[in-house]
Amino acid sequence: MKIPSQPWQHNAFKFGITFLIVISSIWSASGLEITLERILDAPRQIGILVGAMFPLDLSDEALDRIIPKVWESLFIAWAGTVIGAFFSFPISFLAANNTSNGVISRFTKQVLNAVRAFPELILAFVFLPITGLGPLTGTLAVGVHSIGTLGKLSSEVIEGIDEGPLEAIKASGGSKLNELTFGVIPQVIPTITSYWLYRFEINLRASAVLGVVGAGGVGAELINQLRFRDFPRAGTVLVTTIILVLTVDTISAAIRKRIIQGKVNKN
Amino acid sequence: MIDLPKKPLPSVLTIVGIPFAILFSIYSFFQIGFNLEDFRTNLQNRYIVTDPLFNPKWSWAIENASAALVETIQIAILASILGCFIALPLSFYASRATNKNSYSYFLYKSFLNLVRTIPDLFWAMMFTVAVGLGPFAGVLALIMFSLAIMGKLLSETIDSIDPGPMEAAKATGSSHNQAIFTSALPQVLPNFTAYFLYIFELCIRASVILGLVGAGGVGRIIETQRIFLRFDRISPIVVLILVVVIGIEQFSVWLRRKIL
Repeated sequence: MKIPSQPWQHNAFKFGITFLIVISSIWSASGLEITLERILDAPRQIGILVGAMFPLDLSDEALDRIIPKVWESLFIAWAGTVIGAFFSFPISFLAANNTSNGVISRFTKQVLNAVRAFPELILAFVFLPITGLGPLTGTLAVGVHSIGTLGKLSSEVIEGIDEGPLEAIKASGGSKLNELTFGVIPQVIPTITSYWLYRFEINLRASAVLGVVGAGGVGAELINQLRFRDFPRAGTVLVTTIILVLTVDTISAAIRKRIIQGKVNKN
Repeated sequence: MIDLPKKPLPSVLTIVGIPFAILFSIYSFFQIGFNLEDFRTNLQNRYIVTDPLFNPKWSWAIENASAALVETIQIAILASILGCFIALPLSFYASRATNKNSYSYFLYKSFLNLVRTIPDLFWAMMFTVAVGLGPFAGVLALIMFSLAIMGKLLSETIDSIDPGPMEAAKATGSSHNQAIFTSALPQVLPNFTAYFLYIFELCIRASVILGLVGAGGVGRIIETQRIFLRFDRISPIVVLILVVVIGIEQFSVWLRRKIL
């Protein structure tokens, strides 16, 4: 039996991609002076560090320092998400091309893209001299970044709606505002709410990191304990952060599932 | 008048959840110390930032930051390639479709979840302690970062593959590993490529901030200038980064369209 061979262009393209991957990794590894031995030795090194963290420092003094910082990260993430949700909701109607006109939509989308391009940490140290060291700076950074991401996601949801209900409202004499409140918002609110929760999960990780530049949250505690080589305490910071993130992820994922799928009938 | 059906009562989740969310928001704003009056006073300090921010020192940035920017790109390339290729076998172990042993499935799945829980900069901090300051720590941190994302995305893709080809391979006498290699892998390879390009973009963005904790790349230069409030030097660096990031994203979008 004769099996047809693959067309050569296909093979050439595959070969080109493989070549690109190999060459770029060699270029990167040699530029960074990274050898295979160093990479293979890394798991052992991190193992030593993690080993030094146990047993965790669970003394009252350590917990009194760490737990409030962990809560602070949670508050930063939540307040940042609220800022993001509050401002992105009206903006997304301007950005969606079916609820606003072409020029405004394109302009708003570009603004959202520009906002989204800056990482939270960069925003945080721009706000730092204005709002000072502390959680407020972190909240603003997380909030502004969330306006960008939530605005984009929400406007895409609005663009994907079913136009039928809008026509029905128009046909029964509804105004443009009626179309928005009774036609668009009921259709998009479940998806957008679940995006808010999803963003909250991401913001929690971001706010945990923000402490590195002094913008509040648990990150400052981790970097300080690691610098002072107090590994058991650093381990406590790490473990409490992991517990918080896992708990929030689980609860938030369950709520999102409930919002999107609706009530599940038991029978 | 027709008999309209009654509107059902809102669910318990809505009745309890919405007031709870509002109360928690108020409490959070209270906790972070938001005060409109202070905020307005502090806003008068904005010239410390905005004046230098809009007077960028281009020549300084290009002279001092280009080498570090190249380092950033190298970190992202190496880490995303290594991370994704380490994740490739792990994802097959972390999927029900290809791993029938529920203990090892659970073990791999929880390992990937645990790695994903720790933020990228936390990994970077830990690796700077473990292997020393420098780009190597950054590479390792981003390996963990890309490993976790690829592991999650790919193992969920493997969950939903068509089991037919694997059964066919087994019927012709191939071992479990051979069946995976010849029948499951080709099914998810296009997804793998798409996820790889996506993760590469994420890594480029993440590698910019690694330097803030001493893990190499352009963040190191931003950090030193930030301490001295030299926003006139930071703003051109940030613009350079944005240009590079957007350029690479466009390239990756082009490549994705070409491959898929």
